[in-house]
Amino acid sequence: MKKPQRRGPSPSVPIDTLAARAAEALQQERFKEAVELFKLVVRQEPRPEWQESLAAAYAGRARILAAKGMFKEAAMVLENTLAPDGTLREPLLYLKCLIREGQQQQKAAAYALQHVSSKRSLPAAEQTALEELVAALLVTNPPRPEPADGAPSERTRWIELSAASRDALAAWISGTSAEEIDRHLNRISLRSPFRPVRLLLKSLTTEPRDAERTRRLLETIDTGSPFFPFRQAVEAVLGERELDADGWNRLSPAQRAFVAETRGLPAEAAQFLARSADAARSGPGSLFAFLLKQSDLPQADVRSACLNLLPEIPDRLPQFEKTFGPLSKAERHRVQALAAEARNDWEAAERSWRATVVAITEAGEDRQAGLSRGVIFRHLAHLAGEHQEIEGDDFLGDPVIFYLERSREADPDHIPTVLELIGHYRTESRDKDWHQVVEDAIQRFPEDSQVLLQATESAIARKAYKKAAGFARRLLKIDPINPGVRRQMIEAQVAHARKQLRSKRADLATKELSGAAEWERSDAPSAVLRIARGLVALQTGQKEQAEAWLREGVDLAGGGVAGWFRAVLEAELMNAATGDAGRLRKELAHARETPPTKAAVMTIVTALGQPEAREAKWAVAGLLLGTQAWLLQAADFDWSPAEFQALAEVLVRFEAFDLLQQYARAGRYRESTNPIWRFHEIVARTGGEADRLSMAETDNLEAMAQAAASRQDFHTANRIRRFVFGNGGAPFGRRRRDSPSAPPDSFDFDDLDTDELLESVMDEMAGRSGDKLRRLVADFGREGAVAHMVKELRSDPLGRRMPEPVLRDVCEAMVATAMEGVRGGQGAAARRVPF
Amino acid sequence: MRDPFTVLGVDETAGDAEIRRRYLALVRDFPPDRAPDRFREYRAAYEALSDERKRLEATLLRTNEAALSRLTMAALQAASAGSSRATKRTVAALLAEGLLRTATD
Repeated sequence: MKKPQRRGPSPSVPIDTLAARAAEALQQERFKEAVELFKLVVRQEPRPEWQESLAAAYAGRARILAAKGMFKEAAMVLENTLAPDGTLREPLLYLKCLIREGQQQQKAAAYALQHVSSKRSLPAAEQTALEELVAALLVTNPPRPEPADGAPSERTRWIELSAASRDALAAWISGTSAEEIDRHLNRISLRSPFRPVRLLLKSLTTEPRDAERTRRLLETIDTGSPFFPFRQAVEAVLGERELDADGWNRLSPAQRAFVAETRGLPAEAAQFLARSADAARSGPGSLFAFLLKQSDLPQADVRSACLNLLPEIPDRLPQFEKTFGPLSKAERHRVQALAAEARNDWEAAERSWRATVVAITEAGEDRQAGLSRGVIFRHLAHLAGEHQEIEGDDFLGDPVIFYLERSREADPDHIPTVLELIGHYRTESRDKDWHQVVEDAIQRFPEDSQVLLQATESAIARKAYKKAAGFARRLLKIDPINPGVRRQMIEAQVAHARKQLRSKRADLATKELSGAAEWERSDAPSAVLRIARGLVALQTGQKEQAEAWLREGVDLAGGGVAGWFRAVLEAELMNAATGDAGRLRKELAHARETPPTKAAVMTIVTALGQPEAREAKWAVAGLLLGTQAWLLQAADFDWSPAEFQALAEVLVRFEAFDLLQQYARAGRYRESTNPIWRFHEIVARTGGEADRLSMAETDNLEAMAQAAASRQDFHTANRIRRFVFGNGGAPFGRRRRDSPSAPPDSFDFDDLDTDELLESVMDEMAGRSGDKLRRLVADFGREGAVAHMVKELRSDPLGRRMPEPVLRDVCEAMVATAMEGVRGGQGAAARRVPF
Repeated sequence: MRDPFTVLGVDETAGDAEIRRRYLALVRDFPPDRAPDRFREYRAAYEALSDERKRLEATLLRTNEAALSRLTMAALQAASAGSSRATKRTVAALLAEGLLRTATD
């Protein structure tokens, strides 16, 4: 068989060409190739500069091998760079490779001595690091002594210093006196790289009179020094404080052994520390077994440690109770709940936590019991937000809200729970509950600024402006700056003024806006207020004042297109006189001559995100159409996905699909891997109607959603699925329950007859509420359970559509089905803990 | 976050005053300019235990991280202050650890 030809330059290639190719390979860090080429070059003509380049190529190759963990190979490659004085290129790397290789410390020490004797110097920082490493190597690997008649040299100096260090360490280990140790230490110059040995032993042998000075001296042993772990161990020994468990756990095994031996730990304590660390590494079962054997240690502490291990090894509960006596009912359930969490069994975790709550209540009612129940329910609420298996008792409602409500009942003084609950009510549009909780909260926490802010918002939403103003004033007494409440009060009063102007009551609108101005801080003027005042002043004939306010408002709103857009929008919202609105439109048209900026576009997006703008949808859509050409100029700006998302929401809301398409397409050209652009391109093409999706687009979107979900981007995945399937589409990741007041978009109840409704409800309930129903029957009896279900279903969009007798039949059928499950041996009601 | 009781080295039954005292002692020994990571950890642990409800939460919902800490402390407290010497083997292990750490950097 023919031997394959070795690839490489032909011998006829001129040496200069070869050298140029080698230099290029070296420059481009293709070290392996550079080595081969320079070897050929040097073989033909050993010019010093080419030899130097060959060494550089070897060093580069070694660095790459070392980075891959091939230390032995890296060291061997570096050995090719041996200079006539016996030194290597990159000595520090060479030594590190030999040390990490594990078996070559003697070789490393020998080379280290050779290198430092050569007087070849490196850059300062590297030289210091090298010398410290050499010192540590020579302390641990004694070099052969020099012949007695040898003349003093750098080599003999290093050998003498390393011997002094080892002698001092040996003296300290053998327990000789401080004077004897000092005798050895005095042979070590404080300027030598062996200085750390002197500092460490001096710290250990000097009376602790000047702890601060000792600390400062030890701190001169740098974190990069090979003596640093020794320094940490000495500090742990000398620490002013008692060494605690935390400090102990931070130490390495060698450091722990040093501390145990030096601090004179009794044998059994040292043994406990060593063995407990080993047992902990072997797992909770081993540790538990080890701890149970510790009869000499305080039993209360051993019990507590074992109890804390039980959630990971619940099968050891009988053993625990046999040793330490029975656990309380609440503790047993708590352990089981934590154990269920540890194995991701969320249904069991919910059951056990609720059983814990019952047991706590049965054990006696006091403040601590209330707080404990509050903590557990809060924990369940947070778990419910992450795991859909946790359902609460409110069949069709949000379990997060259910548990937050229970937590609030148990511990009504916990403000974060109240605020969290308010947030959820608002998200779910449960306005009645929102206002009720705020009402209660303001009674209970009248001086809390966050509650006052919520009270202000709630009052504004109920259009109780006087009440809102009262809360806002109270809040500003506590927190005089609070820009949030000031802005809210201004916006509320401007909104009120708009209505009055639309009703041709410019006088009342003027009064309202004067009231709004009282909330303004001089250093934070409001654009919307100035514009509104300007527009009202135009109506009342105060031309000059109106002009001043309008100009000021437009400037505050960003000036140019952004500012005039805001003014025109406000004129639309106020239904301003045609002449006034027309004048503002002319200003806007004039401003559009200036090209757009990112900031100006985002200012417009922010203005369109306001609730009032949503109400004037068609007026805004027309306004957007007029600004379309200007906005198109910004389509290929470098928008981030987050910026685009905000923009896209506004464009979809006002059905500006042409604009959306241009922005999305430009984004996709910039960043093809992010699905957000393609998704919005499809949304724009279909005009936001999922019915218009082609099969290919549907598949494309489904694939995008899956890909987003697989990289944990559930936000994008759910957004895509909601578009494709409507709100009824099964979401990815965290469950999202539909609000009872907001039926799914894709579901038209009017198209369903009663039978279909029944089927829908049964489908909805099937397979997930059996346990709940059985619990209800256990607690309230069959009739009570049916009554409870009727009440629950009536608040649901599906249930609301059903006549009362039908609803009752449905509930009875559901209860019957659930109870049949029990008789059929599927149910576990008897085993379940009633709540 | 690690178990806050363990981080601060206090008992589960410790009250506000004791937790605060312990926290202040720790940050005096490890101020933010000298040991920023440790300071952050102490601060987070202190905040996690700074009121009754948070302590209750840490107690009710904790798992095994704190299991050994008290026993470890008890064992460490049995030590006499720096009266002995380490063995040759231990010192050699400490120096070898230093060499390996430096070579790994």
